[in-house]
Amino acid sequence: MAYEAVIGLEIHAQLNCTSKMFCDCPNRPGDDPNTNICPICLWMPGAVPMFSMEVLEKAILACLGLNCKVQPQSAFDQKVYYYPDLPKGFQLSQHHMPLAKGGYVEIVDENKKPLRLSLHHVHMEEDVAKLVHETEGRVPISLVDFNRAGTPLIEIVTEPCMRNPHDAMEFLKTLRREIRYTGSADCSMEQGTMRCDANISLRPEGSDALNTKVEIKNMNSIHHVGDAIAYEVKRQTESLNKGEPIVLHTRLWNPEKRITTAMRAKAEGPCVPDPVVPQIVVTDEWLKKIAARLPEMSSRKIARFVTQYGLMHDEAVQMSSEIELSEYFEAVVKNIPSPRTASSWISTQLSPAMKERGYDFKDLPVTPAQFSGLINMLEKNEINSNSARAVLTKLFETSQTPEAIVEQLGFRQVSDTDALESIVKQVIEKNPSAVENYKNGNKKSMGFLIGQSMNLSKGKANPKRLQEIFKEKLI
Amino acid sequence: MQETIFSYVDTAPPCAPENSTLKGLTVAVQPNLSVRGWPTRAGSRALEGFTAIEDATVVARLRLAGATIKGATHMSELGLGLTGGTEAEVLKNDDADIVIITDTMGESRVSACAAGVFGFKPSYGIVSRFGLIGLIPSMEGCGVLAKNLADISRVIGVIAGNDNRDLSMPEFGSELELPDFSHAFEAKEPARSCGVIRQCLETMEKDEKSAFEAAISTLAKRGIKPIEVSLEDFDMVRTVHNIIGAVEASSSAGKYDSVRYGHRATGSKNWNEMYLNSRAESFGMPVKSYLFQGAYFQHENYNAFVDASRIRRRLSAAMEQALANADFLILPTLRKSIDPFKAGTVNEIYDSFPWTPIANITGHPAITLPGMITCEDIDLGMQLIGPRFKDATMLSTAAQLKENT
Repeated sequence: MAYEAVIGLEIHAQLNCTSKMFCDCPNRPGDDPNTNICPICLWMPGAVPMFSMEVLEKAILACLGLNCKVQPQSAFDQKVYYYPDLPKGFQLSQHHMPLAKGGYVEIVDENKKPLRLSLHHVHMEEDVAKLVHETEGRVPISLVDFNRAGTPLIEIVTEPCMRNPHDAMEFLKTLRREIRYTGSADCSMEQGTMRCDANISLRPEGSDALNTKVEIKNMNSIHHVGDAIAYEVKRQTESLNKGEPIVLHTRLWNPEKRITTAMRAKAEGPCVPDPVVPQIVVTDEWLKKIAARLPEMSSRKIARFVTQYGLMHDEAVQMSSEIELSEYFEAVVKNIPSPRTASSWISTQLSPAMKERGYDFKDLPVTPAQFSGLINMLEKNEINSNSARAVLTKLFETSQTPEAIVEQLGFRQVSDTDALESIVKQVIEKNPSAVENYKNGNKKSMGFLIGQSMNLSKGKANPKRLQEIFKEKLI
Repeated sequence: MQETIFSYVDTAPPCAPENSTLKGLTVAVQPNLSVRGWPTRAGSRALEGFTAIEDATVVARLRLAGATIKGATHMSELGLGLTGGTEAEVLKNDDADIVIITDTMGESRVSACAAGVFGFKPSYGIVSRFGLIGLIPSMEGCGVLAKNLADISRVIGVIAGNDNRDLSMPEFGSELELPDFSHAFEAKEPARSCGVIRQCLETMEKDEKSAFEAAISTLAKRGIKPIEVSLEDFDMVRTVHNIIGAVEASSSAGKYDSVRYGHRATGSKNWNEMYLNSRAESFGMPVKSYLFQGAYFQHENYNAFVDASRIRRRLSAAMEQALANADFLILPTLRKSIDPFKAGTVNEIYDSFPWTPIANITGHPAITLPGMITCEDIDLGMQLIGPRFKDATMLSTAAQLKENT
């Protein structure tokens, strides 16, 4: 039988707030163990949780960025379970009254068609402490680091609306981009500031049923999510084909073996309303104020880049992948006629060069003015691509204009017809056999002739003009 | 001071600033109210060896106002009921002027009544719970015991008011006024009516009822008209308190894992066993049953909790309605034939608090006055419940009733 996969995701994103959720401790889980702690996040007797407005504002910003309906009233619940990473016996989360409901993310599906993927809700949640397992001699010991306890998370729960790994991966990429745009979270799966669990079930194609699902955890990159889903769909298909029923359980992705393995069932604890943290009330007026802080979101920006600058969709996605990059792009193209060349050069030349040198767009030494100057010269054929790459390298080290660098290095391209014709004449004279070959229909010989001309011009000749002249002369 | 009454006595000399409001006033606390550096066991082995890290807001404010915190009493385990507590003994023995006692289901009022003193539970949210090691966060708060109303008024005037370290408090300011206790005894409008809850009358023994009714007719002769009010869900008060209380207690006590403080059982093979064994050895029977009940409602019968929460809201609304018709509600405090200090099970604890948990469920202020309702030589205590956040008015009503006797 042909099966269809039904996939839903649960994503935890760590909000990049300065403090924890219920106390003033710094939100820096990576510091030396147990340095960012206080009686509240240690949940010492007599401590009473506070609540960070910054957390609420950033959580709301993220919800608005994901098109959610922020609820006028929401509340915290206690997710009850007992484990050493949670020494108060419950996790403060929002179950009965989440911060926001609905919402969606728009992606492009495998057939290049737009697809809207719906969210069920978004809620706030505190993170728990981190357990470190070590051995002391032959005795295994477990250490608890409370730096992470009480740090602010949002959990985004999708509808079971995805059908294949592609959808899930595109969803995560888009979600990550949109949340980063809101400035409320860094969303790096590799660094653990975004975590994703996937729920997967199968059903006969054409059916509407929601069958028993399996949850997969421990994917540390978007690619792992795609791979784990693909593996799990295959595994479940084989089970069903063998007549084995699917049992509700949790599996772990093993990135080395590229398989999922069953993990011990964890009892799902109850959720009871927390009597201490007050209900959260969001007035329309306040919500509007927060909404006004949202930037132009990436989905809109992509559409605008396509219409305003004539970029292809993929290029527009590239140029919108980070807010700083998109701003850089727009600053570059303000004064040049060819946004697509700028886009292509940012993707293929500037970005790799930045990565190599450890820069990002926040501290990039190449100013938009310098870069657009470079693109302009390239577009006007004043320099060729090789020279442009060399100039770009220089731009990382100096604040000079690219024009000045071109002059210093003598890169200005020779496009003057008289000069080029003299070169062409010399090359034709020196390479009669290549000329002969070309005339006999061997088009490759043109490449050789142009190469010879470039050598003669010490790389400065405009190859496009050279080709035109050769063609004229060799008819 | 006797060890039988105090679990801890502070030996530091008092150092009240001149002209401070509470200079000379001595206070005893329960060992569940944090005083920095003091052993704070809250009557439980689960907190064995725990020393408070910071002063509770109440303690800090009392000291700032010049009061001397003399020591800590003995208390019931985690403040559930009064078994083993010595709070009221302090007053009987003249060891301090004031006792601060956590009122979870009526402990301040019932113990005051048994000792023949005044016991006051303020409106929920008027006094900070920061530093209070409690069990039922949505119902408990600091109660005040004293021999006279003036001391209660002075103390509450000092400890009440905004504290940004307790978010369950409302924001007192221009929209919601904090009661002004400095004028508590200058009532501009004396109380003219008291609400008698019909369903409450039905719960009294025959002689309790006649003593209660006699007290009401005395009030009537002095110009306070009794008005019958109906609280449909009054018979559900105990169940509602028990279900919600147990659920909150189960969560609140979840942190007692013997890892960082408290009694730790020996010989456990892993952390899970260590938790289980330590908790088994730490908690006494009533608390253990109570936590077990809470876990049952959390895991197995959540609907009962949902129902209890709904009835709680209904009770609050009905109380508001009743207090719109009468200046205050009147109830007895103590049962004639039950000794609240001997309760050994959850049921016996609830048996000994028949008429007080309603104010904990709804958050209304309540006070018990001694010597107003006597039944066969036993003081049943006259319990007044006033409108929320009208605590000063209620104290002035209490003074008005006492004056007239």
